[in-house]
Amino acid sequence: MKGFDGKLVGSVHPITRDECKMVHDAAIRVLEQGGVRCDDERAAKMFEDAGCTLENNRELVKIPEKAVMDALAKCPGSFTLHGRNDPTKDCSIGTGEVHFCTVTGRYIDDIRTGERRKVTRQDAIDGTLMADALENVHGLYKPVMWLFDEEMICNSQILTTEWMKHTNKPGTWVYNTGAEHEVSDLIKMWQIAVGGEEEMRQKPHMLGHVVVNPPRVIDVHYTDWLIGFCDSGTPLSIESALMGGATGPATRAGMLVQCMVEIYSLVVQSQSYKPGHPLAFCSFNPAMDMRTGLWATGTPEYGINGGGIAAMAKYHNIPVVGFGMSDSCEFDQQTAHEKALKNYNYALAGLSWIIDLGGTAGFNLVSWPEMVLENEMVAYIGEYLKGIQIDEERLSVDTILKVGPLPGSYMKEKHTRKWFREEFFMPELNNKEFFESWQRGHVELQEKAKQKALSILDNHQSPVAAEIQQELDSYLDFCMQRDLG
Amino acid sequence: MSIEINEEYFEKLALTVIDGEDEECVKLVNEGLDAGVDPLDAVEKGLARGIDKVGEDFGAGIIFLPELAMAADVMKQGTTILDERIKASGEKRASHGKVVIGTIKGDIHDIGKSVVAAVMQANGYDVVDIGIDIDVDAFIDALKEHDADVLGMSTLLTLPLMEMEKVIIRLKEIGMRDDIKVIVGGCPVTQEFADEIGADAVGFDAQDAVFKLDGLMGVNRSRATAQA
Ligand code: B1M
Repeated sequence: MKGFDGKLVGSVHPITRDECKMVHDAAIRVLEQGGVRCDDERAAKMFEDAGCTLENNRELVKIPEKAVMDALAKCPGSFTLHGRNDPTKDCSIGTGEVHFCTVTGRYIDDIRTGERRKVTRQDAIDGTLMADALENVHGLYKPVMWLFDEEMICNSQILTTEWMKHTNKPGTWVYNTGAEHEVSDLIKMWQIAVGGEEEMRQKPHMLGHVVVNPPRVIDVHYTDWLIGFCDSGTPLSIESALMGGATGPATRAGMLVQCMVEIYSLVVQSQSYKPGHPLAFCSFNPAMDMRTGLWATGTPEYGINGGGIAAMAKYHNIPVVGFGMSDSCEFDQQTAHEKALKNYNYALAGLSWIIDLGGTAGFNLVSWPEMVLENEMVAYIGEYLKGIQIDEERLSVDTILKVGPLPGSYMKEKHTRKWFREEFFMPELNNKEFFESWQRGHVELQEKAKQKALSILDNHQSPVAAEIQQELDSYLDFCMQRDLG
Repeated sequence: MSIEINEEYFEKLALTVIDGEDEECVKLVNEGLDAGVDPLDAVEKGLARGIDKVGEDFGAGIIFLPELAMAADVMKQGTTILDERIKASGEKRASHGKVVIGTIKGDIHDIGKSVVAAVMQANGYDVVDIGIDIDVDAFIDALKEHDADVLGMSTLLTLPLMEMEKVIIRLKEIGMRDDIKVIVGGCPVTQEFADEIGADAVGFDAQDAVFKLDGLMGVNRSRATAQA
């Protein structure tokens, strides 16, 4: 393992503005000379309308810089993901605010039995309630990947029903099964959750992900979703799914260039279809693990690439979001440090919506006690972000003059009483006991997290109005009747 | 001036595989053929020795996937030229078997399947990677065209899983099932599922895929082999 020689300095963005320009120019060279492949006529038409050239039977799109710049100029610099019927849950994206969101998984470490098993419909409900209850969880990705105890047909519809029924926090969506009615059904359900089509257009509450299939293919399914998102007023998160060394180059700069090629092409496509539609650039790009081929999300390259995308977003005044995660296959030291480092780095780089909490192993595993622990990690990050506020009262000169030199203590000062709660961080679960007291007896951190999670599951009630829950259920009945008879 | 066919020549040939030098490999193969090398010797004493070394180094963690994949590719380019001559002479080159591999219809995930293909190739299988989103007909056509011994199907998605069964059913219908070993893999593929659809084996990662394939093809390895 390489060591930290103490000579490196931190920077909020890993590249300078001049370097952003170099990355931009390189991406434009690729778009103009090589272009992107597109799989269907709808997408081809969108690119054509934006001034791009179509070659090879309209399958190859060459995108000139003007089309990119025109499209970027149409994108708003910020937007809001609204709490559903609850403005206290609003998250503003692109204004510098940082929000954290849960991640998804195919397996769960069962909180009651300790068994590792496939996720079910009940887990979707539990995961949603957990995220709803935890104060530093600002939004949700689908609480579990699929419902393994339900039919595959309508799986996304059942999942979405449970999700919308149990929280009002905003969410993030990547397409799921590709089933026939998936796009229209889910959008309909999101609309029901806020009282209608127009209500959702006014106050969008989902972030819709559109992904380029790397290298450089505009995929037909994602175009289905792009149209669905744009038509319903759902802001977009646009990303490349490249993996350095496999579907992207093996240099950090090269990865960033291809990310921008793929992101720019989606900017052009979406702004051609719906000018002015809000969007964010998204970080989702690891380097391949060169031994196993793993989609290695916990790596520094992934985090630093996110910083690079954030720099490019800032360069163009576009919001930026990203996926976090760790590669560990259990919840351990590796999960903790990979997540803490990446997420802090993401937060410093200004990512507005960080999708990471409660899961590990690249979308494979979730755990509710882990979500509790990461809720605490986010609190730490928030404290770091607060930095040091400088004003007359906080400079504390009068109190310093009054108390010192020794003997003298700040403990009984009014100034102390007034400020400590606001200025000092008091974690809820992390250990702050004296070594000797801890030795005499203690509850392990994991156990504390488990107890808190159990207490949430036993006590937390859904904040969603009963009528909305009923309406969601009836729409789901309709879908099930239609597809399963 | 024609080159001399001796131990040094075979070593150089092996080195082109180890170093991933495709142009040099093709050049040496052609020069060797001009100088009258036995094409079987060129494979077995040259290229195969190279790929064996690559397999060992990969297993030992000395080299990594891109080096393995490049070596497998160089090996393929060399054997493609040599195979024509071997075929013409009526002889048969030793190979663990020919595998046609692809990602099933409805699924565009490419990387896992490609990693598995490279690792199989580096372990002495001839592999034809037919890509992603492959339907039943395309799998069957490729198996026929390449006279394959093994069908490899990959998917990372749960919804189109049943596409795998469709291919196996078709193989039975056209009377090819007994001649083809079927190996399946990808994150949603379990042993139970593989049994249910009548596949011969499931590979849980690239190394496991080679291990299972060896079992099916009766390959006995005494040393550490390429593994991911
Ligand atoms: C023949 O014998 C064998 C034997 C062994 C075999 C084998 C065959 N095939 C594989 N193996 C095994 O050996 C390999 C090497 O050890 C391993 O292969 P893997 O492929 O597992 O490993 C590779 C070396 C590296 N891994 C990868 O390449 C996959 C990485 C992840 C992140 C992933 C990627 C990159 C992508 N995706 Co997709 N994607 C995910 C993946 C999550 C993850 N953490 O793995 C997964 C697989 N995707 C998924 C999904 C749902 C989807 N994806 C989609 C799209 C994409 C991209 C196009 C964006 C991109 C693919 C780009 C490309 N050109 O390949 C969509 C579907 C598109 C479609 N129609 O296929 C979409 C529906 C969108 C979405 N909701 O995310 C999930 C599947 C869930 C499940 N099965 O339960 C997923 C686990 C994560 C997720 N976020 O949803 C083993 O599985």
